Amino acid sequence: MTRPASDSIAVAGTHSGKGPWMRAGQKLRRDYYGLAGLLIVLLYFFIALGVWLGFWGQDWSAAGGGQWESAGREHWLGTNRLGQDIFQRAVFSVRTAFEIGLVVAVLSTLIGAVLGAVAGYFSGRWIDELVLWLKGVLDAIPFYLFVAAIAFAFKGSAYAMHIAMISTFWTTTGRLVRGEVIKLKHQEFVEAAKAIGLDEMRIIFRHILPNTTHILLVQATIVFVSAIKSEVILSFLGLGVQDGVSWGLMIAESTQEVLVGQFYNFITASLFLFILVMGFNLFSDALQDALDPRSTGSRP
Amino acid sequence: MALLQYSLRKLFYGIPLILGVTFISFLLMVYYGPDRTFELLGKNPSAEQIEQVRHQLGYDRPFLLRYAGYLKELATLNFGFSDSTGERVGSILKRTVPITLALVLPGFVLGNLAGIVLALIAAWHRGRWLDKLIMGGSVIGMSISFLIVIIAFQVIFSTPYGFNWFPVRGWEVHDLASYSRYVTVPTLATVFVTLGYNTRFYRAVLVEEMSRDHVRTARAYGTPPAVLLYRNVLKNSMIPIITRVMFSIPLVVISGSLLIESYFGIPGVGKVTFDAITTGDQPILKAIVGLTAVLFVVILLLTDILYRAVHPRIDLK
Repeated sequence: MTRPASDSIAVAGTHSGKGPWMRAGQKLRRDYYGLAGLLIVLLYFFIALGVWLGFWGQDWSAAGGGQWESAGREHWLGTNRLGQDIFQRAVFSVRTAFEIGLVVAVLSTLIGAVLGAVAGYFSGRWIDELVLWLKGVLDAIPFYLFVAAIAFAFKGSAYAMHIAMISTFWTTTGRLVRGEVIKLKHQEFVEAAKAIGLDEMRIIFRHILPNTTHILLVQATIVFVSAIKSEVILSFLGLGVQDGVSWGLMIAESTQEVLVGQFYNFITASLFLFILVMGFNLFSDALQDALDPRSTGSRP
Repeated sequence: MALLQYSLRKLFYGIPLILGVTFISFLLMVYYGPDRTFELLGKNPSAEQIEQVRHQLGYDRPFLLRYAGYLKELATLNFGFSDSTGERVGSILKRTVPITLALVLPGFVLGNLAGIVLALIAAWHRGRWLDKLIMGGSVIGMSISFLIVIIAFQVIFSTPYGFNWFPVRGWEVHDLASYSRYVTVPTLATVFVTLGYNTRFYRAVLVEEMSRDHVRTARAYGTPPAVLLYRNVLKNSMIPIITRVMFSIPLVVISGSLLIESYFGIPGVGKVTFDAITTGDQPILKAIVGLTAVLFVVILLLTDILYRAVHPRIDLK
């Protein structure tokens, strides 16, 4: 990584030891769209925390109203066909979305990091071939069929969707990490680690992998978005959330309602989903810009 | 001759991929999949009857033999009969694949073309308001779920709550007029959903190419923008463009059509796949997974040949 000349003078002057992370943070702070995105994500996370702790969204399944009531003081965003409160359901679904997004993002990033790093370090050897083959195979199975297959195999387990997403969403992360590790493994710090006789696994996971954190962070945000978007479609197809409520299930309910002119359920679930995905996309873009050593800090 | 040799070798290298895909899906869907023994039996079956049905279904054969049987089905393209309708799987596919192609092709072509055009505009005006407008639009487009777009477009274009111009669902196509009536809303939805992703991807590719020296030189010589964008930028960006277009084909045919067809009730491959998923119709699922894997390998090969066509310097070896 080369710094612009003026920058390095400033660093030398202040002895602040400005690392790439500090500079990324500074870049991020100037990126107002990215900050707005982060704010949206944090707000949703706060809502999800409240649902977890039982502060709100607990009455999502109670049929406390009549069929298709309009928005009002009693039911802020009206009720659905069964008289359930749409606002409560949408709020509870924030928790569902975060559960799916976090689990899938963390685990698939972890798998992608480990497999990508090992494949990259041993590139050209059998273990690399094996990982590339696995990635090719998983990419070649149609996703919905794969989810269905997992659901068959796990006898309709509530986690079939999670398992299917985790086992397919790591492939892009794995490919990017592998490429980066191939670049890194010829650098001097790796040579040095080898020269003092460090064990290969230690070199891969303690010395090389931490240098791909910028890829992992950005990928995790992208996978999070993919996971909650896939949940909606899978739940509509009947392959997604099995118990509880989610935006996907709400939209699936609403497909019958919109044809008779009842739009509250559809619009509420769609907006809740859209705003979170939008926030994540903005944040993810800003993160990518900030962490990309090549970028100059100005958004494209 | 060299091309033929190359193609055969490439197809040969595709075998591990096909084996992997078929093995994993066979293991999950058939071996650990639903047991159909008791569906076919009457009430209070005797042990012999159970044994007989299990034998009929092949459940008593060892795993590897059953898997080999699947591979043989794939190699001979004879997948037997559907569990739910009893129709030959081959004839189901022959009937439904053309419908799916007719359904997804316009959206696929328009979505990519419009994406390239918007990306060219954005890349040419890089950093200015038009670029920001287009890129802002694509982030918004990327953030809206496909399902939401489909539902919203159906309400807007096909119900009395909107314009009510097109049929709500179905596929009764006899001629061009009826075709355009049924294909328009799905196409609009597909274009809307893919446009954001496509524009972003193509813009990144084009911007990279535009920052190269040969483009700057051509600009300095006063090449008109249209010629510059076509000859110097677009033609040199064909490799990533081809890669993206080619590799999205299997996704569009199976995954893309699955949602659209099951929502609009269009009897294409996606609908057949969806019904097979919900009823656990294994002969159909096996056929679709196996053929998708073959399609993938063929696309890998075609992509390489296309690379060669646009970049003569690339060697086929």
